[in-house]
Amino acid sequence: MAGLAYRSGYFFTIANNLIYMGIAFYLWQSIYGSREIIRGMTFNQTFLYLSLASSIFVLFQTWSDWEIGFQINDGSIITWMIKPLNYQFSIMASALGFVLTNLLTITIPTIIFLVFVFKVTFATGPGLIFFPLALVFSFLLTSTIDYIVGITCFYTESVWGLSITKDVIITFLSGSLIPLPFFPENIRSILEFLPFQAIYHIPLNMVIEPNQPTSEYLTMIGIQLVWVIILFVLSRQYYNKAVKKLRIAGG
Amino acid sequence: MSLIEVKNLSKHFKVLNRREGLRGSIKDLFSQDYRIVKAVEDINFDINKGEIVGYIGPNGAGKSTTIKMMTGILKPSSGILLANGIPPYSNRIQNAKKMGVVFGQRTQLWWDLPVIESFKILKNIYRVDDKTYDTQMGMFNSLIDLEKLYPVQVRTLSLGQRMLCDIAAAFLHNPKIVYLDEPTIGLDISVKAKIRAIIKELNKNQEITIILTTHDLGDVEALCNRIIIIDKGKILFDGPTQRVNQLFGSFRTLKVKIFEFNENTIPNIELAIKNKFQQSKSIHVKKSEDFWTDITFNQEETPLREVLNLVMNSFPVEDIRVVEISMENVVSQVYDGALT
Amino acid sequence: MIDTLKFYFRIYFQIEAQYIKSRMQYRDDFIISTIGMLFSSLTTVGVFWVIFDTVPELDGWSLNEIIFIYSFYLLATNPMQTLFDHFWQLRIHVLKGTFIKYYFRPLNMMFYYVSEMFDVKGIMQLFLGIALFVYSSNSLGLVWNLKQLIYLIILLLSASLVIISIMIVAASASFWIYNSFPVMDLAWRLREYAPYPMSIYKGFFQILFTYVIPIGFISFYPSQVFIRPEELTPIIFLSPAMGIIFSFIAYRVWTAGVNSYTGTGS
Repeated sequence: MAGLAYRSGYFFTIANNLIYMGIAFYLWQSIYGSREIIRGMTFNQTFLYLSLASSIFVLFQTWSDWEIGFQINDGSIITWMIKPLNYQFSIMASALGFVLTNLLTITIPTIIFLVFVFKVTFATGPGLIFFPLALVFSFLLTSTIDYIVGITCFYTESVWGLSITKDVIITFLSGSLIPLPFFPENIRSILEFLPFQAIYHIPLNMVIEPNQPTSEYLTMIGIQLVWVIILFVLSRQYYNKAVKKLRIAGG
Repeated sequence: MSLIEVKNLSKHFKVLNRREGLRGSIKDLFSQDYRIVKAVEDINFDINKGEIVGYIGPNGAGKSTTIKMMTGILKPSSGILLANGIPPYSNRIQNAKKMGVVFGQRTQLWWDLPVIESFKILKNIYRVDDKTYDTQMGMFNSLIDLEKLYPVQVRTLSLGQRMLCDIAAAFLHNPKIVYLDEPTIGLDISVKAKIRAIIKELNKNQEITIILTTHDLGDVEALCNRIIIIDKGKILFDGPTQRVNQLFGSFRTLKVKIFEFNENTIPNIELAIKNKFQQSKSIHVKKSEDFWTDITFNQEETPLREVLNLVMNSFPVEDIRVVEISMENVVSQVYDGALT
Repeated sequence: MIDTLKFYFRIYFQIEAQYIKSRMQYRDDFIISTIGMLFSSLTTVGVFWVIFDTVPELDGWSLNEIIFIYSFYLLATNPMQTLFDHFWQLRIHVLKGTFIKYYFRPLNMMFYYVSEMFDVKGIMQLFLGIALFVYSSNSLGLVWNLKQLIYLIILLLSASLVIISIMIVAASASFWIYNSFPVMDLAWRLREYAPYPMSIYKGFFQILFTYVIPIGFISFYPSQVFIRPEELTPIIFLSPAMGIIFSFIAYRVWTAGVNSYTGTGS
């Protein structure tokens, strides 16, 4: 509810996203030129892929890392640590709130534009059913990463630098800026081992190739799940280490 | 000619009528529904060189609006406002050269820099010549020992130290007028005393006119020779401090918390007081924070112990506090004609 | 007039020298922010590299030409990044009321506001920009004589003015809009699209990016002078005019905002 009190702000976020899509449209149209297929994807697929990627990026923009950073810098994090609530969960809960607001105010209007203005076509198939589930896992992944970045502020005051580095690395290596199929083979194989592609490429793949065998999709979800667990465990350990350091330093 | 001339000065704001709830927020996006808020309405006064004027009133009275007009932030809606002979709003830079400002909690010094560097920068900004600079700095050194703070970064100063530096900085370029907004807020007694001392000294020494807005009557008592009280955009009183002092110095507010406070409590208290102290015209009963009641009275008319006795014997008192009269209560007394 | 300029220069140097000195205490922050910024720029180059790995040319432009345009863009953005960084916080000062302090000094308010912050990591970005510029310029075999250098300086200046103006207008939205961060974000993103060749746009977008929000003049059109001198169109000579016109507009918007500010949130 507080989100809606922020008047015109939301119009601009939508405008942001639409302009990005417009630019991507022209850029990739030039890239394709007269070619039908590049690295296995048609122009329609590429454009759909990138527009959704951008919409998902905006959807997951919760600024949790900044929130944690600010709380650390002004000391208010102590009040959170005393509460019986689990800090990580409370951060994720508030992030979830942001995501839901974003979904209503930004993502859905954007998708409407996508279908009716840019006249993008969707193929249908079982992949589309797995898509929402994959998004849920993607959310878990991004918020855990945001959390980890936020906790790093225990060690340094530089919230901006960390946040930008994180954003850049994730968007570049996850397929969000350029669809993964476009990367040269050797680099692509490395990227497949990183958690970032689980955030963007996996769900996006489900939408542009919705007709793969179900076992494929289950594998993808499985990969996401594995990363969720790994990152989650890492984040707990990282938090505990950081907090220990805080205690030693005298708070 | 007076230093500051104010004639029929008014300032109105257009404020959007915000609506409640979710539907309301959406409607607001397209709303053209405004109301006019009269922050300052038709005020008049003249301030002369060398005066220290206390400009007081409750929150929302129009104090900061007036100061913002005098310092060139806001444009008056109507009327005449001249400081040093020129209208501040249309001659902001000109006006700023002859004025100093201290705005309470927010420092105007450079946060990350050592104190002395701020002063050096100000020296250049206000084109203060070497001789004046040395004199002023020397004076600050002797009055508040500023030297000790020279190498300290502003961000690491305590609130009290920062206020002292901010005040000194406001006087560095020998301005004609200095505006001090809540200079002693949040500070302990010893620092307050230091601040009052330096303000008094600088005013006496260099005949600098000072306009002081404050909620602290102690400041007013110590520094101001003249008081202007403003409430709801209008001037209620403009006269020598002694009058206000005489009248309110002996006032006290007895704050009581009554068990099982309900809507009858205050009328009951009022009745009891009226019955006991018929002759007294200056006892006021008012609701203050949750469940508390303020009983404001003049000790010279009704001694504290008599009021206390009455209340303790007639009502189930849970908690009490005795405080000096607050600005709100001064103002309500003034409304009731205490100063006429 | 000269006197006033000298006055402002002196004050500016005095303030920035002190400011930089005190910021150097924060080593950590400097290093991490610099890394973040370098990553960001290098990622863009990475995107170009991947694109050109799949297709030999983009709308008729080669990889080195694109890198040249990009480096020009980095150099043009640099003054905004380094000197006008404080505008990102305008919205916070306006909302919290701390903005009123800028009215009190006998200084031009924009000058005073701008002088409060100097982004030291911008210097690294400058080096990166120069490095890419030299690299691509060499790869394209460009020749630099005095005339070319003068053009370069004029065009870089105009481009910088365009960027700075766009950001000032976007930041000034905070005087009227409560949550104006998306406005600045939008302006910042638009600027990021500047290194892409304008020729890929048709119709509406082309007009938008050339005349309305002239990101075309940030690096694409000026770069033409150097990499495709035989294909010059009259549009390119608009660059300095665009810089001046937009600076003018930006200053007026800022002034309007400053005059309407009442000292508390909107």
